[in-house]
Amino acid sequence: MNKISKILILGGGQAAAYAAKEIRSIDIKSDLTIISEEKYLPYERPPLSKDYILDKVTFDDLLFFPENFYKENKINFIGSTQINKVDFDNKKISSSLKNYDYDKLLIATGSTNRHLVISGKTILPEENIIYLRNFEESNILKNKINEANNITIIGGGFIGLEIASSAVQKGKNITILERASQLMGRVIPLEIANLIQDKHKAVGTKIHLNADIKDIKKINNSYEINHNNQILSADLIIIGVGSLPNTEIFQNTSLKIDNGIITDEFSATSIEDVYAAGDVSNFYHPFYQEYMRLESFKHAQNHGINAGKNLIGQKTSYNKIPWMWSDQFNLNLQLTGICNNYDATAQRGSTLEEGIIYFFLKNRKIVGACGLGVGGKIGRDIRLAGKLSEKKTKVTNELLSDKNNKLNKI
Amino acid sequence: METENKNWQLVSGTADMDIEDIIRFDYNNKTYCVYKLEDGFFATDGICTHEAVHLEEGLVMDGEIECPMHQGIFDIKSGAAISPPACEDLKTYPVKVENDLVYINIF
Repeated sequence: MNKISKILILGGGQAAAYAAKEIRSIDIKSDLTIISEEKYLPYERPPLSKDYILDKVTFDDLLFFPENFYKENKINFIGSTQINKVDFDNKKISSSLKNYDYDKLLIATGSTNRHLVISGKTILPEENIIYLRNFEESNILKNKINEANNITIIGGGFIGLEIASSAVQKGKNITILERASQLMGRVIPLEIANLIQDKHKAVGTKIHLNADIKDIKKINNSYEINHNNQILSADLIIIGVGSLPNTEIFQNTSLKIDNGIITDEFSATSIEDVYAAGDVSNFYHPFYQEYMRLESFKHAQNHGINAGKNLIGQKTSYNKIPWMWSDQFNLNLQLTGICNNYDATAQRGSTLEEGIIYFFLKNRKIVGACGLGVGGKIGRDIRLAGKLSEKKTKVTNELLSDKNNKLNKI
Repeated sequence: METENKNWQLVSGTADMDIEDIIRFDYNNKTYCVYKLEDGFFATDGICTHEAVHLEEGLVMDGEIECPMHQGIFDIKSGAAISPPACEDLKTYPVKVENDLVYINIF
């Protein structure tokens, strides 16, 4: 098997970058190419809603690896390229200009913003209606926030709240409209959501839960938003209402898709020699024995690495315990595991200064934990909760709730 | 190793630290971390190179320190950043043990 195989990675985000790095750490002979819609080398997205808007970092700080890394490792990066045709039978993908053939393909196309729909009308981005996904949009968002006074954020999830935190630090009036009865309701327990809500309210941000938006009207240079029989005026609207896996180009192929590309625990899709990783993949998690699709920094990285290993022939199961974070103001929120399907909870810590963690237990074992604290206060215990969950260690409420018990000694 | 600059500061007694414990040590407005591993004591800067957070609150595993905020990982002995979002290495410092006391050389 001396044949140099052609490996294509479709998508240029974190999963793609780490898959390429992993492939090169095992195999230096293959022809390895990343094809990305974006013109930029793979970069970190979390700062786009936070430190980049606040001018604390520059674009160069966001790159996972410098340009030299790709050259030295013979990773061919083709940017600004939209793939619009996929032919799995003949192992070929195409842009309008060129065909690219492959022996092995990794799909890491990530996710795309879900558009807000009001009374059947899709609200698309326009001059003062912004969605945030990539670096270009973050640049636009930063400028728009600087110019605006009254900003309405539609969607009280991570992106909306992080942008709210950044914009209020620039002295802007912020209103958040959230359709559900709590913030970050999809994944974060109510207790933590309420602590975050208090923090936003304390700096003057208005939060409307159960917001039912009937209409958005453009009047001259501003907008009137009609919700719950109130009219809200805004000169900038920022929308963060979730994301969808980027699978559109595979719709008419035999690739199995259901809320993302169906992938087994070895990052393999339903088609031979085709793998998927990161946001776009709905993967089988052997620990939880269920399929899940995750949108987080750590997952994109680890799943990319796993796909790289499997693609190059090192069969490796992906069984990482999910973990994610959000930074808002001086607070760091973290979530590990799965915080539903539990029969008991335990609380550790009672102030944000020392950090507050809620553990979720089933049959005396941790299934998930979620915490909030100033700076890095909760990180170690959240990490250890993930490890205890993985090891299926039996715990008690008393053990977890007493901060004097070191969790790494259990 | 440079031997010209010596500024040994007492950090802790050897018995006060368990394996994989971290002690934070503040000196001249800077923060350092001293770690006890299986094969001895080591020291690095005390603040993550990614964001201003104290590594003292992080987790030590297999000779690595993991930042408590974003799980950036550094090799304790070399200071090398080995997992993002950390990309800038941590500075390391010599440590010595004399008469069951741990010293860091801050120069």
